[in-house]
Amino acid sequence: MISHYLMVSAALFAIGAFGVLARRNLLIILMSVEIMLNGVNIALLAFARLHGDTQGQVFVLMVMGVAAAEVSVGLAILIAVFRNRKTVDTGDLKSLQG
Amino acid sequence: MLPIDPVFLAAGLVTVGAGALVVSLRNPVHSAISMLVAFLGLAVIYLKLGASFLAAMHVLVYTGAILVLFLFVIMMLNLKPDELGIEYPLKIRLAIAGLCGGLFALIAFPLAQDHRELPKQLPAAYGTVETVGTALFTDYALAFELISVLIMVAVFAGVLLAKRKL
Repeated sequence: MISHYLMVSAALFAIGAFGVLARRNLLIILMSVEIMLNGVNIALLAFARLHGDTQGQVFVLMVMGVAAAEVSVGLAILIAVFRNRKTVDTGDLKSLQG
Repeated sequence: MLPIDPVFLAAGLVTVGAGALVVSLRNPVHSAISMLVAFLGLAVIYLKLGASFLAAMHVLVYTGAILVLFLFVIMMLNLKPDELGIEYPLKIRLAIAGLCGGLFALIAFPLAQDHRELPKQLPAAYGTVETVGTALFTDYALAFELISVLIMVAVFAGVLLAKRKL
């Protein structure tokens, strides 16, 4: 039944959202974003399977491409931040705070 | 006949459990290893959904490239336990966990009403390289070209940001 796959999808999305909101380690936040993207991928593939259509699979390939680009830039920013500030804690990065 | 496919049940539980470990463990290396387990569970779910090419690409891209990149950065930074940062107090984390539980209920409750069965019969070559490739290079050729530009930009951005001195 399709709702089982959508349950897993929603659970992964909620777990990723928790990681982004509740953690302060930049590395873990980036990993949580990956988990959220993968949760969405399951939903796309489940609906593609439901309709027997290939378009959903092409969308998932696009999401994977965007995720790969996102993580490479994100980790590069993380390295630059750590080099300048010697921290990966988002609580310490508040120079933009008024 | 079980109401839930046992392979899917096992893969789903492993994926969600490993995902929960990723966001709850303190050491980033442990989180990355949990993410490896979650990604392998996801590949099994993709196979259950008949997307064999996507499952192979998932293992190649996520465990082969993204996870290795994460581990590489973790080892390059070489964080000491006191450099991992201070997490929010437990009370705030529990509140956010409740909030995300609410988010899950909000998404999952309407979806649970969807009782449509997945069709037993699939189109002949569903999910193979040929089918996905044909769609990618005909109907979605523009998107394919644009994503190659995006990845090119990401490569330049990665080099520019991470390099000490240009």
